Amino acid sequence: MNAVAEASRLVIDGMSRSFGETRALTSASLRVRPGEIHSLAGENGSGKSTLIKILSGVLRPDAGTLTWEGDVRKHLGSPSGAQGLGIATVFQETLVAPEMTVRDNIYLGTDRLFRYGRRKGEEVAGARQALGYLGLDGLGLERPMWTLSLAERQLTTIARAIIRPWRLLILDEATSALDAHHRDRLFDYLRLARSQGKSVLFTSHRMDEVLGLADHITVLRQGATVATMAVSEASRRGILGHMSGRADIIEVISAGPGPDGAARGDPRRRPDAGPQAGPRPVLHVAGLALRATSAPITLEIRAGEILGLAGLEGQGQVEFVECLAGLRRAASGQVQALGEGGQARAVHSYRGANRLGIRYVPRDRRHEGLFGPLSVFDNFAVTLWSDFNRLGLLRRRVARKRFEEFTQSSRLVSASPGRPISILSGGNQQKVLLGRWIAMRPRVLVVNDPLRGVDANTKEELYGLFRRLAADGVPIVFLSTEIVELLTLTDQIGVFHEGSLVAMLPTETSSDTDVVAAMFGDGERGASRNGANDG
Amino acid sequence: MTDPNSIPAPDGPPGLALAARQPAAGASRKAAAATAANFTSALPYILVPVLFILSLTFIPGYFSKGSIVSLLILASLLGLSSLGQTMTIIAGGIDLSIPAVIGLSDIIVTQLYYRHWSLPVIFLAIAALAILIGTISAVSSVLLHVHSLITSFGMSLVVSGIALEWSNGQTSGAVPGWLTSGVSAIGHTGPLPIPLIIIVWAVASVLAVGFMRLTRIGRETYALGANPVAARLAIVRSTWTLVVVFSISALCAAMVGVFFAGYSGIPDPTVGEPYFFLTITAVMIGGTSLLGGRGGYLRTVMGALIVAELTTLLVGVGFNASFQELALGILVIALTSSYGRELKVAARI
Repeated sequence: MNAVAEASRLVIDGMSRSFGETRALTSASLRVRPGEIHSLAGENGSGKSTLIKILSGVLRPDAGTLTWEGDVRKHLGSPSGAQGLGIATVFQETLVAPEMTVRDNIYLGTDRLFRYGRRKGEEVAGARQALGYLGLDGLGLERPMWTLSLAERQLTTIARAIIRPWRLLILDEATSALDAHHRDRLFDYLRLARSQGKSVLFTSHRMDEVLGLADHITVLRQGATVATMAVSEASRRGILGHMSGRADIIEVISAGPGPDGAARGDPRRRPDAGPQAGPRPVLHVAGLALRATSAPITLEIRAGEILGLAGLEGQGQVEFVECLAGLRRAASGQVQALGEGGQARAVHSYRGANRLGIRYVPRDRRHEGLFGPLSVFDNFAVTLWSDFNRLGLLRRRVARKRFEEFTQSSRLVSASPGRPISILSGGNQQKVLLGRWIAMRPRVLVVNDPLRGVDANTKEELYGLFRRLAADGVPIVFLSTEIVELLTLTDQIGVFHEGSLVAMLPTETSSDTDVVAAMFGDGERGASRNGANDG
Repeated sequence: MTDPNSIPAPDGPPGLALAARQPAAGASRKAAAATAANFTSALPYILVPVLFILSLTFIPGYFSKGSIVSLLILASLLGLSSLGQTMTIIAGGIDLSIPAVIGLSDIIVTQLYYRHWSLPVIFLAIAALAILIGTISAVSSVLLHVHSLITSFGMSLVVSGIALEWSNGQTSGAVPGWLTSGVSAIGHTGPLPIPLIIIVWAVASVLAVGFMRLTRIGRETYALGANPVAARLAIVRSTWTLVVVFSISALCAAMVGVFFAGYSGIPDPTVGEPYFFLTITAVMIGGTSLLGGRGGYLRTVMGALIVAELTTLLVGVGFNASFQELALGILVIALTSSYGRELKVAARI
């Protein structure tokens, strides 16, 4: 133990941390050496962010030890405590003070009560040097932060971290907004720092960055460290297998899925995915490019189909469902609803999408869905009144009937519809929000991560609800952050990476490793399978 | 008007139904929490008779038709001017232009009637102007993305500016006699020995309660105030809803201005000034939350009665105006802090 600690800058052992019922970290361990670039990898929710918050002093662990340069500690106390030890962190969100200048943002938090001991000239020189390392030589230091592009803001937060004397730099998805040039400059700087004996710990959703930059990689899964290896000895598929927890089947998978036709055939629900046969297409996505730089998406969603959507945080899947719902305009392309006779009508607005029968269930129940002070019935019926009124007077009896119908089919636990919605559990609240649109007989249902924070039993009931809806011919676009959920419920899974749909995986023949591989941009298999971008 | 099988609206007077529905076994704590919540939200309904009995006890000779009608006239003026305010507050806004609209309407009636305009024309002009004022407050709040607190306040300055300019130097005005008797304690409405304003308030109250409970736009008002983001996603007509409630608010204020003109018969642009805070006081005492989405007009009716009763009681036992404000302030804080305690997580199903 001691010998290890001496050769290490940072050692984490058996670290755990819970938030209420949620166990974010169970037993994480990690060892970062001096003069090393170390990658921390894992899916959404694997505990990476929690671990990084502990390492930067934001959170304290429940148990486990942390050895920093030979000193064993329980925690780092506070962010400034961590900084004092030489740990600099750049977080995923670009945290800036938008009204302050670039220079003030770079030196934010270094002042004591008054600015002292530092001249303006020193500040300018320090900021220039830090920005120079990152390829931002020409950036005006007195520009207000809000005038900068997202990439420039992200680089400025990195500059803020590296002007301090650091020995461990933590980058949490800090490269997501950078273009190739600036990313290369950042990597050059990190390699330079490594040669000076400093350490870097970083997370990235790009597999090529991990393989190209890191010396070692530690993989977290469900809050525990499942593997640590030298990158020179690791394979892409090996890393992905550890992340998804299916290391045992890696070999089988990499042997290949067989011919394309076999992979596409789905005997159970979709006898033939070919364009002519099968159920009627209901929604047509025509060359939709989410961002200026992303590949256009063309696909059809057919009656009764459940299309899953996956991707790491911020890869375009949310933008895609928002485009379907008419809440957002894509860089180019269209979403069209197809009528019975095949006539196409484009979606231009949220209201327009609703008129076409495209109904959207938002992600954030509390802020975008629920009317907290209103009753269960009012929460359910709010959307119904647009249809069920006579000269503006409510037709309560019809709405009441729809409510009873829904209560039975969804097994909604609600003794009295007049009680406030806030007394229901998260799962039951979600049922009411779904019921709001199901009662309107949707033509397409678009749901954005509807089962977050829903208990296991209710989840099962909601699966049943979605399946019955699909059996009635309503197509469902189902975005989820849980791969298991997608594999359980959907017919095929569209995976997003950097704003493009990179893979369309038939659920029957796909494993979670395939999904994770596609999420990390390892699309070689996914793309060849079922041409997602063939439009 | 309440069908026993219908779903109770959230603003309805809480009865025992809720407590009775609690399962008997293993839920006594939930039942206790629900009962406590019921008690505080029932407070205004209890306070109205309690304050009345206190007045009977402490003010000698209070139990007479004259004093009760006077009390109701006071409550009617406040209740009518708080009617639209209740709706704008439930919609998540607030209308600060009520006093100004009362003043302007008072000027218009006294001046135009003095110049022998016909009454229907005067009333139509006032109504059209009120709808215009309400619409501007609402639409500018939506278009400029600012709270109606700001737009209605701006509107208030504009309207009171016009009223002051118009009434500048004018001391003479006239109102029809029936309007004067409509706000007098000895006034009659047809064969009924009750002044017009009380009848108007009673009818308006029934309409307002029905409007909020039984119409699409009434339910949309609650949804908009409870969560504007969710309301947009649930295709609630936000702009139209705000236009309607702010227009109703301005119409009510204009109506009160007309009755005030009946009181004095002379033009007075500042007559509505006390209603700046009194309307909000009545709404809050009744239990409609300034956060929006909670409450109802029946509660504000109780709030207006409580304010009128408390004022009468304090005057009757010899306290001065400053003490009345102090008492109202204490009541607002005491009551509103007890409202709206939501059930604990433990009581959820």
